[in-house]
Amino acid sequence: MEKGIGSGGAFAWFFQRISGAFLLIALLAHFWVLHYASNGEVTFQIVAQRLATPLWKTIDLGFLVFAIIHGFNGFIMVIHDYIHSHNLRLALVSLVWVVGILIGIMGMITIIGFKVPVGGVI
Amino acid sequence: MNLTFKIYRFNPESGQPPHYQDFTVDVKKGETVLDVLGEIKAHQDGTLVYRRSCRSGICGSCAMQINGLNKLACETQALELQTATVVVDPLPGFKPIRDLAVDLEPFYEKLRSILPYLINPDPPETDKERYQSPEDFAKIEISISCILCASCTSSCPSFWADKSYAGPAALVKAFRYSYDTRDAGLRERLDMLDNKHGLWRCHTIMNCNDACPKKIFPTEGISFLKRKVVENKY
Repeated sequence: MEKGIGSGGAFAWFFQRISGAFLLIALLAHFWVLHYASNGEVTFQIVAQRLATPLWKTIDLGFLVFAIIHGFNGFIMVIHDYIHSHNLRLALVSLVWVVGILIGIMGMITIIGFKVPVGGVI
Repeated sequence: MNLTFKIYRFNPESGQPPHYQDFTVDVKKGETVLDVLGEIKAHQDGTLVYRRSCRSGICGSCAMQINGLNKLACETQALELQTATVVVDPLPGFKPIRDLAVDLEPFYEKLRSILPYLINPDPPETDKERYQSPEDFAKIEISISCILCASCTSSCPSFWADKSYAGPAALVKAFRYSYDTRDAGLRERLDMLDNKHGLWRCHTIMNCNDACPKKIFPTEGISFLKRKVVENKY
């Protein structure tokens, strides 16, 4: 029987669960910090100051990487479910990888280079 | 009570496209859909084609779609469906051969692919059985009751989307042997389980659990297998 392209899929399945668990914890932490742990109103200046700290940059980088891998891994699973032409499958999986990496790079540039804007506006 | 049976008809030799034909049957309490099909075949239309053998839920031959759900016709009492019209279709996902009979060869091919038999290179002790404790047997007992009716595989949307997907019935069989303490064949089965048409096409939709006439819960067995494969690889 035809077995399809690429590796078996065990790692993709397993990592989808790991990244899912991470995202769940990260999302709960995000909600808690943003809506419950903040003192007073949530303003751009307060959020920007927090975002500019190395700790939050590290957390957000982890969030970004796991979210992209989780989402695009899901896309690849859908492609494996519904696309049966070998060439089209290869093309779409490659496209997903390229788009995922590009979005990842854009996100990293935004997070790593983020500074608190002078005067509180960009 | 008179019920209308809307039955899928298809005869490739007639050149006609598939269509439904209505039959009205006086159904008595306790009569099954299989009884009704027999009544139609005997008294109304002898050309109606369907599979049946044991008539007691053991052989799995009469699995078909009744009012949109995969069931054994011999275990489904017509009056208990509580509809004036009973719609009877062949098992979805398989190629209809004629009327309610479908081509199950792809189903058997997938079953054979996961090596559905005991694999153990070590011979048992002379004149001794391969011992299995009652506790170990209990873990696989329910999966042994599979009658290969194909209701589960035929109800699986992943199988509808990818006809190369092994499907719940074959994977339950793989679970049955892989979790058998006397079996040592996981390595040989791994190739067929861990591939793009294997375990990972199961997205725990759980239609198979509802469809199984033996209440096996294939999704549970498949989930155990996924864990075992991951543990084995990493």
